[in-house]
Amino acid sequence: MSGDESHMSAKLAGQDVSIAYGDRRIVENLDLLVPERRFTALVGPNGSGKSTILRTFAGLMAPSCGSIFLDGRSIATLGTREMARRVGVLLQGPVAPEGLTVRDLVQQGRYPHRSLFGRWSEADQAACDEALMLTGMTTLADTPLDTLSGGQRQRAWIAMTLAQQGEVLLLDEPTTYLDLAHQVELMDLITVLVRDHRKTVVAVLHDLNQAARYAEHIVLLKGGTISAAGRPSDVISQEAIADVFGVRSIVIRDPVAGTPLCIPL
Amino acid sequence: MTRWLVLLAILLVGMVMASLALGDIALSWRDLWETLVGSQDVSPQNAVIVFDLRLPRVLLAVLVGAALATAGTITLAVMRNPLAEPGVLGINSGAAAAVVAVIVLMRDPPVLLLPAAGFLGASAMAAAVFLLSWRAGTSSLRIILIGIGLGSLASAATTFLSAFGEIGNVQRAMIWLAGSVYDADISKVRFLFLWLIIPLALAWMASRELDLIRFGDDAARSFGQPVDRIRGLMIVLCTLICGAAVAAAGLIGFVGLVAPHVASRLVGPSHARILPVAVLCGAILVVAADLVGRLIIAPIQLPAGIVTGLIGAPFFASLLWKRRHVRG
Repeated sequence: MSGDESHMSAKLAGQDVSIAYGDRRIVENLDLLVPERRFTALVGPNGSGKSTILRTFAGLMAPSCGSIFLDGRSIATLGTREMARRVGVLLQGPVAPEGLTVRDLVQQGRYPHRSLFGRWSEADQAACDEALMLTGMTTLADTPLDTLSGGQRQRAWIAMTLAQQGEVLLLDEPTTYLDLAHQVELMDLITVLVRDHRKTVVAVLHDLNQAARYAEHIVLLKGGTISAAGRPSDVISQEAIADVFGVRSIVIRDPVAGTPLCIPL
Repeated sequence: MTRWLVLLAILLVGMVMASLALGDIALSWRDLWETLVGSQDVSPQNAVIVFDLRLPRVLLAVLVGAALATAGTITLAVMRNPLAEPGVLGINSGAAAAVVAVIVLMRDPPVLLLPAAGFLGASAMAAAVFLLSWRAGTSSLRIILIGIGLGSLASAATTFLSAFGEIGNVQRAMIWLAGSVYDADISKVRFLFLWLIIPLALAWMASRELDLIRFGDDAARSFGQPVDRIRGLMIVLCTLICGAAVAAAGLIGFVGLVAPHVASRLVGPSHARILPVAVLCGAILVVAADLVGRLIIAPIQLPAGIVTGLIGAPFFASLLWKRRHVRG
């Protein structure tokens, strides 16, 4: 790790994590730090273990060895409910039951905060209203999900995870299948969540330049191990791209944001 | 929601009244009313017909319909498959195999043994399906596949027994298999009611869990639901409810599949609303099926299970047809 990270405290940290599906090792001896209140992007070629790592950090898969720490405490010792109160997860291609409205969906996000027979509280309502407002879905709250466009639907799902009110959001390829306008919108939303709402966001992103432009911390993955991690300007270089993606490229300065921009040759 | 509940409740009461009035000896509405309120000038024959013959039967139909609909709603949510009904848990085939074995292999089995065997067969099969599909957790698809596999094994056993059994016994077994409420009496009704009341209430109280588990294991888990535990509990509830219904009335098909679909079309996707509406739909369906079965080719009585299939199938097809433009 570069010296840059030393003053940032790690919200989530994986220590010596190995992950396997049956006998097949996907990730070996991974040490991954997610800085608090930053937008971290996991980037790498297909099969580099990005989604698997995200699922493991979300507590949906148990690592075959090693541990994951949330604020210094192993997530294996946190209950499912406690974990859900603190970490929101949006996986790829979520499917909602037919006929569900945006509001119905967002209200599901309150599940970990409610006791078995607990009534719907004002805090629940406030959390849902805020989630709808942040994602710009307030006016669409009573629309059935299946009549929305892809971008709106994705925002509805993000609203659902926001209603959970966790400090951490883990998003698996949130911009895939969205058109450019919706991608930009979503990235802006993440920026707002991190900057103004003190969230720690980790997203698996397919688009290296998108990651470089919006993320504050990039983790380049290759074959289940970290090839490089740090600020985009420190991490993204011709050598790193060649190493991770096997693609020759030049890296220039993004004329708008000043972040690195990779152009394949 | 309230509107539908009231409408369906009125419809159910109407069906129950019709079932009490109609039959080999039809009572006029006035006779029925006087019998029900117990006025002085009621003939004792009418009282026997209404209270001893028809009332237990119609009440049993109501309970069985409510039970099948609840079990169907649970299965649909937990298995996340629009075609999943309690049968995929092996409940029906297990009960069938056990009852046919008792009827064919035992000489003069005691009357109470049949429902007991049916319930035990259903429970044993559901337990076997659940345990065999357990591999550091369960999965809906694994349960469905193993349920279908074990189900056909049990059906093979049933077929074997009926192919080589004594013909009279086999016919009795077949009548049981067809599903009917004809041998109802008030003690059976009371027993089933007491048996069902707690599991049905629990199912309704768990509607929030059903709402969430539909989203898929990972999504539900990420919202803090202990998915494996909930699925296990729901399967236990489903077995208690559906196993008892099957033990009481044999195999009455389609109700567990149709009632929850109709209910969710009427009142939307929340289980707190689906469950009571599905219960009413299921009860109406079985009462109607029994009534039609009694009247249509009287004096021969068609078992309710055959009628639910006859009216259920086209009804279901029309549902599918109406939503043919809805995606996946």
